[in-house]
Amino acid sequence: MNVLFVSKISPVARSVFPIFKYVEIGQQLGYHVALYGEQTNDTPRLPYSLDAKAFDAVIFVVYEPWDFPDMPYLAQLLDTVPKERRIIIDCCGRYNDTIRIEHDFNHLEKMDKHQGWEWIEGFEAVAGTILQPTLKPLRSNVRSFLWHAFDPASIAKPYSKPDEAAVAWADRNGGGKPFGMTYVGHNWQRWTQLKKLLEGVQPLSADFGPVVLAGADWERRPDWAEQLGIQGVDVSTELMARVRAEAKPPIPFQEMIGYMSQGRFSPVIHRPLFNELGFVTNRTFATFCADTIPVLMLPHGLVEAIYGPSALPLCVPEDVTGYFSAILRNPASHWKAVLDTRKHLAEHHTFQRRFQELTRIIEDNI
Amino acid sequence: LRILFVAEKRINAGSIQAVASYITAGDKLGHTIAMYGCPDPAFPKIRFSLNADGFDFVVFILESKLDWLSGLRLSRILSMVPRERRAVLDADGLYNNLIVVEDYDRNHATLADRDRWRESCERLGHRIFQPTSAPRDPRVKSLLFYGSNGEGQAATEAKKKWDLIHVGHNWWRWRELEQSLFPAIGRVREKIGEICFLGLWWDGCPPWAASLSLQNAFRVDPQLFRELRITIRPPVPFTQVAGAMSSAKVNLMTQRPLFQQLGIITSKYFEILCANTIPLVLISPKLAESVYGPHGRDLSLHTAIEQRIVSALETPERFMEPMERVRDHVKAQHSYTKRVQQLVTALES
Repeated sequence: MNVLFVSKISPVARSVFPIFKYVEIGQQLGYHVALYGEQTNDTPRLPYSLDAKAFDAVIFVVYEPWDFPDMPYLAQLLDTVPKERRIIIDCCGRYNDTIRIEHDFNHLEKMDKHQGWEWIEGFEAVAGTILQPTLKPLRSNVRSFLWHAFDPASIAKPYSKPDEAAVAWADRNGGGKPFGMTYVGHNWQRWTQLKKLLEGVQPLSADFGPVVLAGADWERRPDWAEQLGIQGVDVSTELMARVRAEAKPPIPFQEMIGYMSQGRFSPVIHRPLFNELGFVTNRTFATFCADTIPVLMLPHGLVEAIYGPSALPLCVPEDVTGYFSAILRNPASHWKAVLDTRKHLAEHHTFQRRFQELTRIIEDNI
Repeated sequence: LRILFVAEKRINAGSIQAVASYITAGDKLGHTIAMYGCPDPAFPKIRFSLNADGFDFVVFILESKLDWLSGLRLSRILSMVPRERRAVLDADGLYNNLIVVEDYDRNHATLADRDRWRESCERLGHRIFQPTSAPRDPRVKSLLFYGSNGEGQAATEAKKKWDLIHVGHNWWRWRELEQSLFPAIGRVREKIGEICFLGLWWDGCPPWAASLSLQNAFRVDPQLFRELRITIRPPVPFTQVAGAMSSAKVNLMTQRPLFQQLGIITSKYFEILCANTIPLVLISPKLAESVYGPHGRDLSLHTAIEQRIVSALETPERFMEPMERVRDHVKAQHSYTKRVQQLVTALES
């Protein structure tokens, strides 16, 4: 099964990690998996091809309008690959009616200059099959395909027992954890949830350790958000100062797991729209590869469906301070939840399984 | 016929004036012409439509860039309208082979850029047009496209704010200005009142130019402007161009060297005649004649530049006769009524 992905690659955002993994696994299976375009020397090194006819399927991985290729490449694809062999993975729920959750939208004309209907009709013009990374797509003509996945080989420290993990984790001197909490992700529709966490951490600040937020626009509310009147791109520098939180630049995907491992905790936060749609992201899975206790700020239904019931203790309750305080006193029970969840993810959500699912979807269409 | 233009929506540049004029002239001739997009009160004369399959033909107006074509939008148009019903106006002559004029102006930086442009044109449209009477590539058809709407001549300014005005953007024009016009102005500067350059990028090279290796296209010397006491003003919307031109006694039109070599015409050729001003065009007499008719030579600012500028300011009556003959010629040969008919014929052929 030869697969050609179409997407704009950024080392610090969107789907660079899954694409990297799908290429790797495809090569292991003897398939030709590449990205559409002219070969570049950019990092990460990925194979590129313009010979769309040599592939069984062309898969557009779409977050933004610019994930579609420029001319003449877009027309090349549309002219040379039949529609039934063109698939879109709709990573942001664009192929829905316009939905607003808090300040979050799936269509935001102010930002990308496209109206909701343009996403719908544009997707239908490009692809015969539309996939969304949720277990329950809203539209009947959308298939579920989670796209993002867990990579057991990327686990930073594969502990076999919770006690072992807890001891290493609690050992401040030997554990090498300079931070109480690390978050890797950009400031986009996440502040409400992050604020709740930081306020909960504040009373523990002395024992908890500093916090780092690595990603775009955590220093302050960005000017572009102000100019465009975009809400949900917020930050409180006062609160960050009180909890010793520091903003850091975005982290390249290869360093993401190592970076998260520098914190004792690392939250998994989905934007409100994704919580509503049940969408998963790269961080949903990658956080469980880091040597950290993932802190799940997700709906319980999604946690149970994706991670299995053993992950429920990792969900943050209303009493955030009490929750962290309890883990700091007795981390072993939470490490048990982490290790059990890793096991569940390794059984059900690996990239290998995803590749098989994708192969079946392609075979259904061609 | 129903014709939909797909063009970059720029209020003060590009082909927007032409699109507005096609819509008006088309209405009079019974053709429905529109521009792709949503209605926008900032573009009062433009009929917009998103219903690409409701038109007989879609014409892409391509100038110097393609990045304004959203892939999401384009996919929809390409899937709705078969290639046989799509055409391209290659307004800046980029479909041609690589051309470098006097080691300065060029249509492409590399052959790869040219190839990408060519393929884009060929995939977008079954027919490719260029606004020149003599396209160099046999696959390209001539379609002058830009014309005169005859409006604006009534746009009078009781008091002229400027003696000289140049309305246009700083885009591959600097060398000719530096070599020909500015020395001439310098020699007679005391005989000329206020001078204005109105448009984009006269105040400096845009920050994004370097990444595209386009610094030469935006070259400018602020010191020279200061020495010549030339005032810089920002561009105006397309609806105010004739008014802006009419605010000066004399208008200067320049054209980038590449366009002169290819014989490409632009909106400016005709806008300058719609204003209440004396138009002087910094192009060769031959080129001026080819567009404006025999009296076009009298408007050409090719030799004795300073004398002709001073003459236009001091004895404007000497220019009235040739100007009226040129206007008559343009009205007969280059009206948008005629352009709509030519476009319809070209699309139906």
